[in-house]
Amino acid sequence: MDSILQVRHLTKRFGGLTAVSRLDFDVRPGEILGVIGPNGAGKSTTFNLIAGAYGADEGEIRFAGRDILGLPPHEIAARGVMRTFQHNRPFPGMPVIDNVLVGAHTKFRTGLWGLVTNLGGSEEQQARRKARDLVGFVGLSEARDADVATLSFGQGRLLEIARALAGEPRLILFDEPAAGLTPAELERLAEIIRGIAARGIAVLLIEHDMRFLLPLAQRVVVLNFGAKIAEGPPEAVRANPDVMQAYLGDAAAV
Amino acid sequence: MSALRWLGAFAVLAALPFFLGSYYNDVYRKLLLWITLALSYNFLFGICGQVAFSHFAFYGVGAYSIVIFLFQFGLPFPVAIVLGVALCVLLALAVAIPSTRLEGFYLALATLALAQLFVVVLNEGGAVTGGTGGLANYRLPDVFGVRISGPWYTAVIVALLLGTYAVLWRLDRSWFGRACRAVRDNPEAAAAMGVNVARTKVIVFTLTSALAGVAGMVYAFVDNTVNPPIFGLDNAFLILFMVIVGGAGRHAGAVVGATLLFLMPFFLSPLIGHHHVLVFGLLVVAAILVWPRGLIGIYDEASRWIRFSR
Repeated sequence: MDSILQVRHLTKRFGGLTAVSRLDFDVRPGEILGVIGPNGAGKSTTFNLIAGAYGADEGEIRFAGRDILGLPPHEIAARGVMRTFQHNRPFPGMPVIDNVLVGAHTKFRTGLWGLVTNLGGSEEQQARRKARDLVGFVGLSEARDADVATLSFGQGRLLEIARALAGEPRLILFDEPAAGLTPAELERLAEIIRGIAARGIAVLLIEHDMRFLLPLAQRVVVLNFGAKIAEGPPEAVRANPDVMQAYLGDAAAV
Repeated sequence: MSALRWLGAFAVLAALPFFLGSYYNDVYRKLLLWITLALSYNFLFGICGQVAFSHFAFYGVGAYSIVIFLFQFGLPFPVAIVLGVALCVLLALAVAIPSTRLEGFYLALATLALAQLFVVVLNEGGAVTGGTGGLANYRLPDVFGVRISGPWYTAVIVALLLGTYAVLWRLDRSWFGRACRAVRDNPEAAAAMGVNVARTKVIVFTLTSALAGVAGMVYAFVDNTVNPPIFGLDNAFLILFMVIVGGAGRHAGAVVGATLLFLMPFFLSPLIGHHHVLVFGLLVVAAILVWPRGLIGIYDEASRWIRFSR
């Protein structure tokens, strides 16, 4: 199948430091692509370039055939690229279900005048039903109407996922989703991510934790010092001497 | 809320002044106007998180513009209303578009400057604004040959309040209200969900400023005079305090805060004279330090506690 996201020659410099250097990769619909690498490899920069937080110095990011590089984050979201945050960023003034509904923001068609004249009722009902389904999909049904402040860290991560899914993404970006989760929560998270890919959504996972990522991803891109040093199925990547060198070098330095 | 409920609320609130004397009718009218202003300011500050000090100035722009368009320029009533609203919208856009592109602090500064500038313009406006003495000796034009006055005009204010509330209530319960709260709580996450943060801020600032302007137009025929001291900065801060004391982000909080702070001097000054200002100050400090969710937050806590202990 054709890829939905194409990254070509992507380069980002911060002053004298080249954080991402001539990076190429593709993500296909329904595929889980992992991007791994030691600290400072350029994973987060790559993530932020795709999500629209930074502009690039060179290269191209094409989503569904159109260049999205340099678009503001809200337009990238509107085209069907949704993301989660590594440090959970819920909207604390709203219950769980309303947080998820914010994720569906770009799906509403009733204009302001329509809202004032009370024309948005059925659309709102429909969106609420979908949001309830998503809250159920990630397993937060019992906390549906709870204040987000009462959620545990792990539940907050699940809320991030439900909120991103509410935007009906064709590509979902996960920023280190395993960080801070217990082993039981990790198992649940892996199951949810597989479920998302099974819906035909392309999944791009930026992850530090190899033990979490390797069993989950179908393909892996390994970064080191901003450049791609390996790409392929997890087993092949794991055996790659360059990858071992990069990770062991990192571990040795610690 | 169903149409029947809105009508019921209107009937009750509009019937009340027919049982009040002219003094209490005047107090009642001003209370309704303060609640209207607090409701729209709550949407701007409490729900969308924008700190602006121009709300009362827009109230003044509405009041002055209707009087100037009607009696200085001699325009027909409907034209004067449309032009007054248009003026508020243009002025709001002119302030909001440049300042929301910057950090929130700059909106506070820009709107503070606007509020000050407005009073200067009123004082220096010569024959058009009536200078320091303002404009007086005018009365509401007849509408379809009918002269609306006394408790009937109070009914117009009730319609203004309920109309403002209906607009804000419906917006708040929709995707738009959630986007506003998201922008307030975490602009970066809101943008990642597809919310155009700058656009949302500009729309809310313009809408609530226009609502304040419409309230000002209604106010112009309450005292039948408009003058610069009425629209000074102290009232801009009073609206902010009403919303904070009542509970920012909640419509009920705006109503409670406006009612309490507006009526407090009427009850306290006979007892303790000018020291009522002290009570006001203590309430504001307590609301900020001890009850960040305001009086409505205390009510929420209490009702949760009662439910829990049952």
